[in-house]
Amino acid sequence: MLSRVLKLRSGRISVGLLSVILLLAILGPHIAPYDPLAKSDLVFGGSSGAHWFGTDYLGRDLLSRLLAGATISVLGSVEVAIIALVAGAVPGVLSVYLGRTFEWLSLRLIDTLIALPFLVFAVAITALLGNGIPQAMFTVGFLVAPMFYRVTRAATLSVAQSQYVEAAVLAGASVGWVVRKHVLLKVLPPMTATLANAMGTGFIVVASLTFLGIGVQPPDPSWGGVLASDLNYLAYRPWAPLYAIVPILLTVWAFNLLADAIRDVSGASGRVLLADVARPLPKRKVGAA
Amino acid sequence: MNPDEAPALLTVDDLRISWPGSATDVVRGVSFQLRRGRVVGIVGESGSGKTLTCRAILGTLPDRFSISGGHVDLLGRDVTTLTPKDWRALRGSVIAAVFQDPASYLNPSIRVGKQVAEILRVKGGLSRRAAKARAIELFRDVALRNPELVYAQYPHQLSGGMLQRVLIASAVALNPQVLIADEVTTALDVTVQSAVLDLLNDLRLRIGLSLVVVSHDLAVVAQLCDEILVLRDGEVVEHGPTEQILFAPTHEYTKLLVGEHERYGLERYLAAADEPDGSDLDTLQAGAEETDRVS
Amino acid sequence: MSRNDAPAQDRLLQVEGLDVHYGRRTHRTQVLWDTTFEVRRGESVGLIGETGSGKTTLARAIVGLVRPSAGRVVVDGKDVTAFTGRQWRALRRDGSVQYVFQDPLRSLDPELTIRATLREPLQLQRRLSADAIDERIAEQLELVRLEPELLDRYPSELSGGQRQRILLARALVTDPALLIMDEPVSALDAANRVLVLTLLNRLRDRGVSMLFISHDLGSVAGVTDRVLVLYRGELVETGSTADVVRRPRHPYARLLIGSAPTLTTGAVNRAERDELRRLLDGG
Repeated sequence: MLSRVLKLRSGRISVGLLSVILLLAILGPHIAPYDPLAKSDLVFGGSSGAHWFGTDYLGRDLLSRLLAGATISVLGSVEVAIIALVAGAVPGVLSVYLGRTFEWLSLRLIDTLIALPFLVFAVAITALLGNGIPQAMFTVGFLVAPMFYRVTRAATLSVAQSQYVEAAVLAGASVGWVVRKHVLLKVLPPMTATLANAMGTGFIVVASLTFLGIGVQPPDPSWGGVLASDLNYLAYRPWAPLYAIVPILLTVWAFNLLADAIRDVSGASGRVLLADVARPLPKRKVGAA
Repeated sequence: MNPDEAPALLTVDDLRISWPGSATDVVRGVSFQLRRGRVVGIVGESGSGKTLTCRAILGTLPDRFSISGGHVDLLGRDVTTLTPKDWRALRGSVIAAVFQDPASYLNPSIRVGKQVAEILRVKGGLSRRAAKARAIELFRDVALRNPELVYAQYPHQLSGGMLQRVLIASAVALNPQVLIADEVTTALDVTVQSAVLDLLNDLRLRIGLSLVVVSHDLAVVAQLCDEILVLRDGEVVEHGPTEQILFAPTHEYTKLLVGEHERYGLERYLAAADEPDGSDLDTLQAGAEETDRVS
Repeated sequence: MSRNDAPAQDRLLQVEGLDVHYGRRTHRTQVLWDTTFEVRRGESVGLIGETGSGKTTLARAIVGLVRPSAGRVVVDGKDVTAFTGRQWRALRRDGSVQYVFQDPLRSLDPELTIRATLREPLQLQRRLSADAIDERIAEQLELVRLEPELLDRYPSELSGGQRQRILLARALVTDPALLIMDEPVSALDAANRVLVLTLLNRLRDRGVSMLFISHDLGSVAGVTDRVLVLYRGELVETGSTADVVRRPRHPYARLLIGSAPTLTTGAVNRAERDELRRLLDGG
């Protein structure tokens, strides 16, 4: 799949860009030229040989803060996406197999989650559970979960009703066997596309939350936090927010580009209509005589 | 008049069809003559070139296919010289065709009767009222029960067999002399298939229609046709009167087709028959005797 | 009926008074009415009916894909009508009854190689080692006259005739006692039809029981001992193939026999066909 994605220009660009970003997220804190928390007397410093991106209102090196903040921002979005994957894909597959009650309940719950506004809900939850990274990530992860639920449910439904699954059932296959042997392989491509999409979404939400000061406490650096503090001092350094905005934009763009590339090569439509999901399990098609 | 002396309505002479994607011609040397009131059958698998042959005769070869040799004469005119305007005048009134999958030839959102009446109005020059009356009459002719009701129905309300009858009605609406029936019974149940074949035979006897019947099933063709061409991979492997093809096949492929029926079909149970006449459904004496004896 | 005198172990499949309904409450429609028949060990039976006659439903009820509303199905002495999911799985893994679908392409997983597809029933059995499984697959492939190279291909890379034979091979790997086939040859070209029919005859000689479902008796007459004619959800005629072909009693069976395209002579003449059609349409 990766090799097919890399055959596309958009695939190469997005994978390349994401590799660089991921590398920065991992190595960022270590290659930062300064301590991201260290204050200096050089306040609102412009770009120079010593401080490439200049310094902020406390004289902290902006480049170092962005590099150090990469970890929380990027890995945070990965965390969100994985939480969403587990919380969405598993019930998505199960909703097809666990009978009507579970199906009905999960569908209503997902409808509810879709109806909730992301940020407001995340803010409310962190207010309730305390302002910390795990709380924020879990909240956002659950809010992104419907994306996975819809995609996996639609893909599973189409496989579950296929004749080859019926053939497997007639050979004595259990639900677990059918899911392992026949469903997973087909659900994977749309799920990968959704994963890339969810990381993009998660990334924006994490950046927005940190921008609002949720999840990451002030002295700790994050891309959203850096952007927020820079915006307060537009009068002194009007160009400064760009240093935080450009990596945020590039990351989100790269995730979305990757999602599109995966969708293109897998031929599966990751874009699942709500109608496909909301549709109740059809009565077994009968009278095919 | 002896039909063998009637003038040929349709002459296909050494027809070859080429396609840029294939080094050799995809149809190579198909020849036959169709006289008034006669039926010529073409038997072959999908991909044997039988449908291309039909479409060459109808002047509707798909894109990039072309007649590369031989000719097709329709009422003495070489079809390659016909302009689109000539074709419009000929289709329906001289030559018409019916294909597999009748539903795809009808507009799903217009009542079927209206679609047939439209043909009669536009090409037959009938008034609205006369066209409707004639369409209902045609529906009765193709043995649709309750033709007035069918007239007002939409395609999805009709069964496959009924749709095929509607298509046949619209094909014969303008009194063509030649009807090409390409796999018309393929998707139908056997009892419906035999009804459609009986209908085609009726049309031939009643209005002197000449038919080209195309099928993958030798038995379907055998029931209607005076002569049969066996097509394989674009070539005619055997061509002759029906009896000769059925009882003295020379080519391996024809032998396979005949042998399959003899070994696995109903034939092995019906074998104790008199000299059969495979070309005419109405003189199946042996079968009739058999059934008389039982009932 | 004399058939009921047959010793119990001789009856491989018994269907008794089977009713099947679809839908609920107001949409409830009955598609099978009081269907009774049996398939004996080594016997080959044709189940013939038109579109909507209920023939596929009947077959699906036999293999447990459709739950009957009355009557019972006995497979090899076991009443399966009230089987639980677990019991069904055990019975199916045993593989003594195999169902071959009508559409070869749709009943093969497009993302699995032919090898994986053929292995599946044996893997589910958990009786044979991986090597023994592959050996068994190779045997079946040879039986259906396919090259071993096909094993690494995907269904989309096979011809229609090859796919149909792969379905057969998949059904045969478990060494079934009863093979249920839905329109086994109607989608094939002549050469493949003859090949498959010849193969089926060979299986018959080996004592495999078969139930063929088809709309055209002509296509399977040569491989059946007995024929059941299903019309609008009811069995209207049963008997040896020769008897039914030569002396059909029910009007629909007469029309069916009289409609089957034959090379030589039909069993029913044109006038009678018209009369039968009128009779059946009126009814």
